[in-house]
Amino acid sequence: MYGHLVRRLLQFAVVLLLGSVAVWGFTFALPGDPATVLLGPNATAAELAATRARLGLDESFAGQYLSWVGHAVTGDLGASYYSGRPVVSELLDRIPATVQLAGVAMFLTLVIAVPVGITVALRPYSVAGRVLQGYLTAGLAVPTFWLGLLLIIVLAVQLRWLPASSDYVPLWEDPGGALTATILPAVAIAVHTSSVTARFLATSLGEVMGKDYIRTARAKGVPERDVIRRHALRNASLPTVTIVGLQLGTFLGGTVVIEAVFNYPGLGRLLYTAIGERDYALVQGGVLFVVATFLLLNLLVDVFYAVLDPRIRLT
Amino acid sequence: MSGVVNDVTRTAHSGATPVVPVLSLRDLVVEFGTPLGVVRAVDGMTYDVVGGETLGVVGETGSGKSVSVLAALGLLSSPNLRRVTGQAVLGDVDLLALPQPELRRRLGRDVAVIFQDAISALNPVQRVGQQIAEALRVHDRALSAAAARARVVELLGMVGVPHPATRYDQYPHQFSGGMCQRVMIAMAIANRPKVLIADEPTTALDVSVQAQILDLLRVARQETGAGVVLITHDLGVVAETADRVGVTYGGRIVESGDVTQIFTRPRHPYTAALLGALPRLDSASHRLLPIPGQPPDPSEPPPGCAFAPRCPISRGRTVCTEVRPEPVATGGGASACHFPDEAASLLAAKPDDDSEPDSEPAVEPRDEPADAVLDVRDAVARFPVRSGVFARASAWVHAVDGVSLRVPAGRTLGLVGESGCGKTTLARLVLRLVEPTAGKILVDGDDVGRAGRSQLRRIRRRAQMVFQDPYASLNPRLSVGDNVAEPLRLQGVPQGQRRSQVAELFTRVGLRTEHADRLPAEFSGGQRQRVAIARALASRPGLLILDEPVSALDVSVQAQVLNLLADLQRETAMAYLFVSHDLAVIRQVADEVAVMYLGRIVESGSVRRVYEDPRHPYTRALLASVPVPDPVGRAGRQRVPLGGDVPSPVNPPSGCRFRTRCPIATDLCAEEEPPLRLVAGGHTACHFAERTAGQVLEARS
Repeated sequence: MYGHLVRRLLQFAVVLLLGSVAVWGFTFALPGDPATVLLGPNATAAELAATRARLGLDESFAGQYLSWVGHAVTGDLGASYYSGRPVVSELLDRIPATVQLAGVAMFLTLVIAVPVGITVALRPYSVAGRVLQGYLTAGLAVPTFWLGLLLIIVLAVQLRWLPASSDYVPLWEDPGGALTATILPAVAIAVHTSSVTARFLATSLGEVMGKDYIRTARAKGVPERDVIRRHALRNASLPTVTIVGLQLGTFLGGTVVIEAVFNYPGLGRLLYTAIGERDYALVQGGVLFVVATFLLLNLLVDVFYAVLDPRIRLT
Repeated sequence: MSGVVNDVTRTAHSGATPVVPVLSLRDLVVEFGTPLGVVRAVDGMTYDVVGGETLGVVGETGSGKSVSVLAALGLLSSPNLRRVTGQAVLGDVDLLALPQPELRRRLGRDVAVIFQDAISALNPVQRVGQQIAEALRVHDRALSAAAARARVVELLGMVGVPHPATRYDQYPHQFSGGMCQRVMIAMAIANRPKVLIADEPTTALDVSVQAQILDLLRVARQETGAGVVLITHDLGVVAETADRVGVTYGGRIVESGDVTQIFTRPRHPYTAALLGALPRLDSASHRLLPIPGQPPDPSEPPPGCAFAPRCPISRGRTVCTEVRPEPVATGGGASACHFPDEAASLLAAKPDDDSEPDSEPAVEPRDEPADAVLDVRDAVARFPVRSGVFARASAWVHAVDGVSLRVPAGRTLGLVGESGCGKTTLARLVLRLVEPTAGKILVDGDDVGRAGRSQLRRIRRRAQMVFQDPYASLNPRLSVGDNVAEPLRLQGVPQGQRRSQVAELFTRVGLRTEHADRLPAEFSGGQRQRVAIARALASRPGLLILDEPVSALDVSVQAQVLNLLADLQRETAMAYLFVSHDLAVIRQVADEVAVMYLGRIVESGSVRRVYEDPRHPYTRALLASVPVPDPVGRAGRQRVPLGGDVPSPVNPPSGCRFRTRCPIATDLCAEEEPPLRLVAGGHTACHFAERTAGQVLEARS
């Protein structure tokens, strides 16, 4: 178990390092120099040179990378080219909003996916099972942004029940306001992700129900309810944990399109704007954060796997 | 019909008080819906079990022996289950009439099941002890956790799990197959049920472990006083353990009766034919008598007797093909045959063929040393065990550790051993499907280990392999004809010629040439194995490596394939390396035998030498563990099953590898590894090979 985790931790470090090179390299592969973008087409050569020097763009490629990584390790991701504020503060401003949206969306995803997955797996031919199978297909097929727009039109514009554009209201300050602000984007996200998750759960649960140990549990006289609760679900949850971890990673990386649709002040919108403005420092810092979050979640999934499955824990 | 079988029960137990069965199946019918129509898997299964007796239900795959009992207990969860009718009376209630929660209250309490393949029958993410405790607590809500634990520890000790208190908290993957089966038995007897159903309880286990488990089942029966239904395909297991026997065919019991009677005076031609098709450990038979044809297709049951198309005594009589025979009490048993007396004469009419197989003229005399087609010298195969942060090889599995053997043309070397002994790895080494770590393997004098790509391809053309699982070893998307033609295509044989050669191969292995365009899925296991053999023959090899070629087949079909292999060898003088865990099969097919244990050959020699004068304690123990399909005198049979499991090949014991399980091991055995040396005309790797002859090995306590 510990060997397994140490190995994973080392992998985590290596992938993060490679990720940082990729993040850093890709932004430089983009056309357009930040100095030209900042100063506009009418800048003189001297102005450009001065700006490049200020931004550190005149150093060698490797030199720029090393100084960036060196600072990144100490928590300094440089300053935004535009606002001049530290990238870390820019990110920290947006992270709580994204975390809150991700949390609500994941909560909704699980609340929908678990019962739906169980019903579809155990009673595929019942009325409820058939209806929910329809939901799974529809949820996968409907594009998230379109569902978001639809929700805005119906619930915000026509019925005026909820705001069309969502601001970030911290949950601990005003739970009601926070829910009102996040519920629409969260639903738009959760419809899709819950379909994916429920499908995974249904497939693995269906498979587990045919296993020999389920038959053993029944032969022991365990009531069907407990057969499912105590024997089937834990075994079936393993593949589902993986997909939930990946989804949470996407949420925390900022759901760019949904944040744009709902004008939500999250990480996704920040990065979206930064790319448009060629604010390299901000893009690099933001993407590095996203990569690290993803890797960290994967690590957590591994730990969780080991907790759930003794075959991983004890070998 | 049911009345008759009831009578059987009473006659078998003609005590002073009338015997009330603890479980009775009455006219059980189970049907499944398939795209091809309704399949009747069980067609009127009827039997009784009384407390304290063991009823052996024996039959081949698809004969309905397991399905019937699972259906009776409501444990069939297949979504295409269409209908279960009849009665399954437990005590005084019909289980089939009970609603599910009521039924569950009786499962595990009044009737418990021991399933086959115990490792997968246990929940992998739950502690073993808790799984047993659950069986107790689900029927006794008042039982405290501590009391349940104490009782489970006691149960684990009772079924022979060492260190029960520690083992309680472990998970199934930390147990061996045999230990898992002990856990299953502990779980089954936890509530002292009235009926114990053992569904192929030893099928996936090695013979030495099987003997332990069969002993334990006897203990479990005594401990609980339960009536035991032992479902198995293995006639030896039945002969060894059952009091009464029901033989299933086509979804029903075709013959039932006292175990001795079934084996010595069968009254149904199927029973007699089954016994004739069985390779025997106790006597060398020149040729098996296979049952022709295939088991009946349950989607198209014949109107008459299900066995009529394969029956040696029916001879197309209309009564057999048109009227379904009902079981009739006959001489202490019941037989569902129109002509039970003719059936009874079948076994006696079996030709006396105890003559030596060596009398065949095609085979060269033994003493003339023929050139070896296969010559293996000190072959070694090691696999790394990776662990730690950088997955470095921290240990090595010594799968094959210095094995030498020779197979001359026209002869068969039987390689026998328990799972994990390295026999399959050795077979794969010959074709370099596994890279050898050391040693030399010569096929027709060509070094397999040193061969380059093209030379290796030429060697593999001359040495072909037939694998265990005919379901997995044929490409399911190619027609069987194309499967067989593949080696020819690789040799560049033009298409027209390929077709005619495939047709010829099909004829040789007994397949119909017009079936060449069908897909493997349309064939039964035995037919598929014929296809696999035809494919192996396509390149006219001088050496066939047969890796458990009949293990996946039923007895009647197995005999067909074994006879086919014998015929092919006589025609072409191919050399066979025949790998099997089944000692009886090896005795049937082999000229020479090599017994493997933990990567080494511990004994080798002629069949006669190894089977009749075994000198290695391991060989002796193996032979003693195999259940003999002859109930006569089973009480007097000396049987000291090997204790424990095969140790891990990662760190084999020092000195003699068998010493940890050996009843006669001394300090010398731990210090010095005995070499394979000439003893009594064979080779034995034991320090005490001279002393073991004839004596019964007593386990030291």
